[in-house]
Order: sequence, then C-alpha cells, then structure tokens
Amino acid sequence: MAVLDLRGLLKIFGTDVRAVDEIDLHIEHGELISLLGPSGCGKTTTLRLVAGFIEPDGGEIVMDGEVVSSGSSVIPPERRNMSMIFQSYAIWPHKTVAQNVVYGLKFRGITGAEADKRVKSLLSVVQMDHLGARYPGELSGGQQQRVALARALVVEPAVLLLDEPLSNLDANLREEMRFEIRRLHDEFNITSIYVTHDQAEAMVTSDRICVMNSGKIEQVGKPSDIYDIPATKFVAEFVGVTNSIRGKMSAPDLFETGDGAKFMMNSDGGKMGELVSIRPHRIQVHPENADVGGSDAQNVLDGEVTRGYYFGSTVDYLVKVPGLEEPLRVIGDPHQFFGLGSKVRLTIDKSAVVLVSDS
Amino acid sequence: MTQDAQQLPGMVSGGEPSATRKFDYSVIVWVVLFILLIILVANPIFQLFKESFFVSEDEAGGFTFKNYIDAFETSEYYKPMYITMMLAVSVGSISLVVGAVMAWVVSRTDIPFPNLIRNGILASFVTPPFLGAIAWIFLAGRNEGWLNKWIRGIFFLSDEFYLFDIFTMKGVVFAMSLYTFPLVFIVVLSGLNNISSDVEDAANVAGGGTFNTMFNITLPLVAPSLFAGFILAALEAMILFGIPAVLAIPAGQHTMTTQLRAFMVSEDDLLGLASAYAMPMLVLAICMVWTRSTILGRRGYATVGGKGGQRRPQKLGAWRIPVFLLSLLPLVCAIVLPALALLTTSFMKNLGGGLNWANFTLWNYHFILTNDAVRVSIYNTVLLAIMAATGATIVAAISAFIAQRKLIKGHQYMGFMATAPIGIPGIVLAIGLFSAYTKQPFVLYGTLWIMFLAYLTKYLPLAYQTSNAALTSIHPELEESCRIMGANRLQVFKDVTIPLFKTGIIASWILVFMPSLRELSASVLLWTTNTKVISVVIVDFYEESLLGPISALGILLLLITLVAIVLGFRLAGRDFMRSAG
Repeated sequence: MAVLDLRGLLKIFGTDVRAVDEIDLHIEHGELISLLGPSGCGKTTTLRLVAGFIEPDGGEIVMDGEVVSSGSSVIPPERRNMSMIFQSYAIWPHKTVAQNVVYGLKFRGITGAEADKRVKSLLSVVQMDHLGARYPGELSGGQQQRVALARALVVEPAVLLLDEPLSNLDANLREEMRFEIRRLHDEFNITSIYVTHDQAEAMVTSDRICVMNSGKIEQVGKPSDIYDIPATKFVAEFVGVTNSIRGKMSAPDLFETGDGAKFMMNSDGGKMGELVSIRPHRIQVHPENADVGGSDAQNVLDGEVTRGYYFGSTVDYLVKVPGLEEPLRVIGDPHQFFGLGSKVRLTIDKSAVVLVSDS
Repeated sequence: MTQDAQQLPGMVSGGEPSATRKFDYSVIVWVVLFILLIILVANPIFQLFKESFFVSEDEAGGFTFKNYIDAFETSEYYKPMYITMMLAVSVGSISLVVGAVMAWVVSRTDIPFPNLIRNGILASFVTPPFLGAIAWIFLAGRNEGWLNKWIRGIFFLSDEFYLFDIFTMKGVVFAMSLYTFPLVFIVVLSGLNNISSDVEDAANVAGGGTFNTMFNITLPLVAPSLFAGFILAALEAMILFGIPAVLAIPAGQHTMTTQLRAFMVSEDDLLGLASAYAMPMLVLAICMVWTRSTILGRRGYATVGGKGGQRRPQKLGAWRIPVFLLSLLPLVCAIVLPALALLTTSFMKNLGGGLNWANFTLWNYHFILTNDAVRVSIYNTVLLAIMAATGATIVAAISAFIAQRKLIKGHQYMGFMATAPIGIPGIVLAIGLFSAYTKQPFVLYGTLWIMFLAYLTKYLPLAYQTSNAALTSIHPELEESCRIMGANRLQVFKDVTIPLFKTGIIASWILVFMPSLRELSASVLLWTTNTKVISVVIVDFYEESLLGPISALGILLLLITLVAIVLGFRLAGRDFMRSAG
C-alpha cells in the first residue's frame, strides 16, 4: 500500500515538447485516481514516469516518503513493487494463463504450493479458474484482459497502474469490465492510477479524476465535482457536453452577455470571469408562456426550437435565445416533444450556471 | 500486503540506494557497426572506384581515364552491355506477364489448389539457376535434348529436326525467366491480396463489367506492384552470372557478368578495366533498387498473404481445368523437369545412352564423394553457409532489435545501414572485395574469410528484413509487462524476448543458409584451389564437360537445401519463407 506524490514532474520529448509540464499530484493510500484527457495530453507519459519506464527531466515522484524518480536518479520498474495493465493486455503468448499469472511471484520469493494457491485464488476472482492451462491465443479479448488483471493483482502490488485497459474491447464488454475493475479495486484496495480518454470509464471507476490537457493538470476532483463544477472551459467541454457562454460579470451573482442576456448565478466568493458553462440537461423546457413560478432561484428565458432530435430516452434540442450568439443545447424530456419552430420557455437553476476559466 | 512488499529484496520500501542512470551504449554500437560497414561495403566499393581510375602496369599510380575509355570504346566490350540490357528488358517483360497472370489466377479465380500453385512457385527458389540451366541442356539441347528426341519420335521426324535449342539467346531468356518470374509473382500477389473485392464490387455495382473493372480499378491499384516486380526481375536478369555462363558463352555471347569474369581470370592484370566495366552495372543496380523501394514505399520486401477484405473468386467455368494445367507449366519447367533430368542423368553412364539398365551407373556419385576437390568443396560450402547464416543473423538480429526498441541515438538509421548492401550485384561486390583484401595490410584472398565477407554482405539485408519483421510482431508492452512484474533487463530478455524472437531468428538463419549454399556470382571470382565451393566446382566441371558428376553434385546440393527447408518448417513454422523474395 502506498501514498504517491508527484512534485513538479516534468518530461520533455525532443527539444521542446513538454509532454508532462511540471505537474503536482497527491494520491492517497488505497485511492483509485484516473488521468483523463485527449490523446497527447501527457496522461500515458505520466503513468510511464510513475512506472519507471522513462526518466523525468525535472521534479520527482515520491512513494511512501521515498524518492523513486527524479531528474538525477530513477529506481528501475522491477524494483518498485508496482503492477501495470497495458492497452494491448501484453499477455505473453508463449506461456499458459497460469504461467502468465505465476510469473511475478518468483521475484517475490513465492514458489511451489503457495504460488499455485495464489494463482488459483486470483484466477477464480477474475472468473478464469477453468482456463489456467489455455494459451492466450485461444482466449477472447475480454478473457485476456482478465488474465492481465489476475497477473497484475497476484503479486499484491503497492501500486496498480492501468493504461487504457479497456480501449481494445468492444462496447458491451467495455461496460462490463468497468464495473469489474471497480469491484476488484473495492476488494483489494490498491493505490491505483487509471489512464483513459473515456469520461464514462473515469466516472465509473474512479475515486477522483485528474483531467489533463497539453501536459498540464486542468482539474482534480471527485467525478461529481468534475462534472457539476468544471474549473475550466476545457474540462467543461471534454467531460460531457456543455454550453459555453461568453460575457462578463456585472455583479458577483450576475453574468451578462454582450447582447444583453442575463444569467443569475451563485456567487463564488467574489470570483470573476468571462465564461460560464451550463450543462444541457440542467435546462428545463416548458411550453411558451408557461407559468414557471418566481424568478429568484432560477433563470427564465424564452426561445425557439431550431433542432430537435428524438433519442428515445431524451430529446436533444437546439434553442435559439435572444441575446445569445449560439443557440443553447438542451437535453429535454421525450414525453413532451417540441417540434421545429416551437416557441419554448427555458428555466435554468442558478446553481447550474458555473463560472469557468477560459483556458 | 505490506508484509509481501517488504519481503522483496531491493524493493522501494527496502530503501537501498539503487537508483542508476542508464549508460549510453550508442557510441560503442555505432563504432562497431561503422567498422563492420566499412569492412563490408565502404572499403570494397571505394577500392573498386579507385582501381577503375588507375592502370595496373603503371605502378607509379597515375590517375587516368584509360580504363573507362577502354571499357566503353571497343565494340567487343560494348556488345555484352547491349546484350545484358536486352536480356534485362526481355526477361523482365516475360516475367512480368507470366508472374502477374499467375498471381491473378491464384488470387482472384476459383482455380483448384491455389495454394499448391503458390507454394510451388515459391519453391522454384530452391533450384539454383545455373543448375536449372544445365538441366535444360539435357532437356532442350538441339540434338540430344530429350524434348527434341520425343518430338522426333512422336512425329517420325528426321534427326536434323529440332524444336528447341537452349544454346541461343532465346534459350537464355527462357531459362532466366523461369527463375525470375516468381519475384514478380510474389510482389503482385501481395498487391492483389491487399485489394479487397469490395473495391471491385463497387465498380461492378457502378456499372463496370468484369473487364472494365479489371482495367480501370484492379490494374491501376496493382500498378506499383507490377512495376516493382518488373524491376526486380530485370535486375536479377542483369546480375545473374550462372545462366549466361552456362548457356550464352557456348553460344558465343558474353553478358556483362561473364565479361567481368573474363577480365578477372585473364592472364593480364585487368583489375582496373574490370572495375571501370563494373561501374555502370553498380550504378544501374542501385538506381533500380532505389526505384523499387520508392514505388513500394517503405515495405522493402513484400510479404505474401497480406490481409485484405473477403475476396470473391472469379468463376473460370469450363476454363477451370485448362487454366489449372497451364498454371502448372512454369512449375513443371522450373522444378519438376530439371530435377528429373538431373536425377536421371546422375545415374547414367552415357548421356545419349537412354533409359536402360545397361546405361545405369553409380559412378557419378562415387566420383563426387571420393574426389578430394569435390569433398573439400562440399565441406567449404556447408561451412561457409553456416558461417554466413550465423554471422548475418547475429548482426541483423542485434541491429533490428536496437532499431525496433529505439535503444540508442540514431536508431532510425539502423535499418538503412543494415540494408545498404542491397543494391550491390554479387559479382561487383566480389571485384570490390578482391581489390580491397588482396593487398597489405589485409590479405584475405585465398582464405574462406573473403568469401564469408561476400556472403555476409550479400545476405545481410535479407536477414535484417526477416528479423525486423519478426520483431515488429513482438509488442514492446510484452517486455514492459515483464519488467514491471519484477524482472530485470536480462531476465526479460531470457523469459520473453528470446522465446518470442526465436522463430524469426531461425527463419532468418535458414533464409541466409539456403542461398549461401549455391552462391555463385561472387564465389566465382573469389575462390582459390583450397576454397572452392560446390557451385564453382559445378561450373568447372561444366567447362570440362563432366555432365554426369554435375548432375550428381546438383542432386546433392538440392538434397542439402531440402534438409534446410524441412528444418525450417519444423523449427520456424509453415510461413518461414514468406519474407523471402
């Protein structure tokens, strides 16, 4: 079990590509944190720095109070007591399932009956106990992934690293394996870093999410915080869909666009900014001139539907609202469908209007 | 879990001062590789270049253009160049047509046993071209050729009549094409297999008929493969020594390769003249290789059996069986007939004596197995092939590994370095090696080492491509996952890299071993009495008209090759020959 600290971690590729740009991150003992971001954001590089496969150009990685990587010295991967799940599963094709799983134990002085016992128990945890004698070539992608999990967990590592482990699986299996990974984490409680570009994966599996972009950390927080209170425009737009509205604050709790649309919001300690984010499903759609009650707690806007796609469980609207350059994206209730050109009234809770920094 | 972590010696929690910086090995690797390349390529080519500008008698060492003027002024020397070019174009064209049509038939029609035809064509690499040419003398000699005799017999024709005469330029073109069309076949087949039938279906749906589709869609898509195949075949025809030596010289013609040998074995010291004469061939060969690799992109060697979409075979209908039989013809001409001819001849007392017990003898085998020169040559051949295969495989495996795993600075140039000799014709390489290593301080001429260098250089690119292809299929994450489980670099190498790379290494070894067994074009200039190899002995015997012993020796050579192939299949799997070509 381990506490990890990344301090000012820097990795430069070539002469000037700052793949990981002086990031700071504290990971608690037994926590599963995911690094979420688009490709090229530095998340995999960060993971490989933690694993010890590459050396940082600056800063340090501290594990339980001891520096394991710094600009001047790096403890090799095999001496970190970590495990890693790879994107390609990286199951050795020339070893059977059981031989794959048992491999790491010999380096930990566990052999013979004790090793067999552990392999058996881990294979049954991942529901592969009947396939121990098979070769990887005879397994499906999902089964290979389970072998990779068993192999990583059997050594009871201090830290588990997962590099986009589900990206090669098909959609159904991916969904199932998300829950599986979370279940295994709850059972073993190993400090884990999970790299992914899939927000749903990050939401389901993680205790905290660290959103990265261009080598920098945009925001770290619980999944609900990342979604409800995005700190930056990038986070708001990368995690889920959102309406980004540009303007300025005319009071600590009032945001105004250049064309005169006004949004009431909760004052955030007097913070100022020029951009707000409103999630489409936080906007309610009502018929034209509907009585929506007082307007102290919520914003009321009138507009016209310019697009409405029916999805079964939701309807995806674009609503043109006077005073806004871009139409608002609204996720509505399918039981009350408004056709193209319908006049509608929108209500938005004050708490749904979130000030974000413009990065 | 905490307890387990502490059991680990030297683990993070142990607090041992274990951190180390990786030592930069790049310098050492590059120095070794550079020295090797200087010995193998740079020095021989430089010496060749230098010799071409000096006249041998002129020990004062004056710079001169005399060699070039001599080489290109006299019509006697000019004519072989013309013949060689004509050969290259005709052989290239015939190979293109035969190879492309066969590839289309195998890839796109419902012909029976397409794999038999494919593997059969690949197997024609097994017969050494010079041996095939000799066998074809037995088959298509003007007077004694079996085919001519049969035809006379069947149609009651006079002894004067003949249909085939192998000792003509047509014969040379025919024999060469037999061994070059597989090159086109492989490249075009790979091109065709990479085109999904969907593309062709789309054209059909859009209203194009079968032929319209073929000319407007399929043909343009395989055009690069066709062009590359033509270049490969023409290049091979240009640099082949064996077939013209066997068939053209008796017909009174020289090609550039046989002319080069004539210069080298001349009583006069014509090294300078030979060097100058080799230049156009070297330049042309390098241009052709460069053009081919540009056309094919970075793929270098084409691999047979690429993945494509589902292919819908063209129905041949009533033509199915005739086309199948016709497709067997190149196979029969390249392997079956020559092998039969050699086998039969090897047991015959008298070539014209016919097939009967009175004419049966084991003398030819007795002769080759008791003749000291032959026995030495068998020993030399096998030893050299083992050395070349081992040497090329080691160098190739290490440099491919460095390149693939990006282990040192400049790793991206590794492939270029290892495949640099690819454009150098064997006979030109031999002249270069001869110039470089017959004088102080490096006298290698007269030893097996100079031939080893020639073989190593010639086959290094092939070994590199094979190793590289094998390594590409080993994902680096397989090694990294081993590392993170607790294995150090050495253990990773032992437990993961070697077991997975093993097949590729074996394939590379055998792919160098087989052509080394019958290397002729370099050996024929580098041998001395004690360093003869089988191929050289065969050419020697041919010049002395010892056709019986040649047949026996040829059969022996084929047997050794077959053993190597069987070993390859057993050790490296069914597909080990796929990177050949």
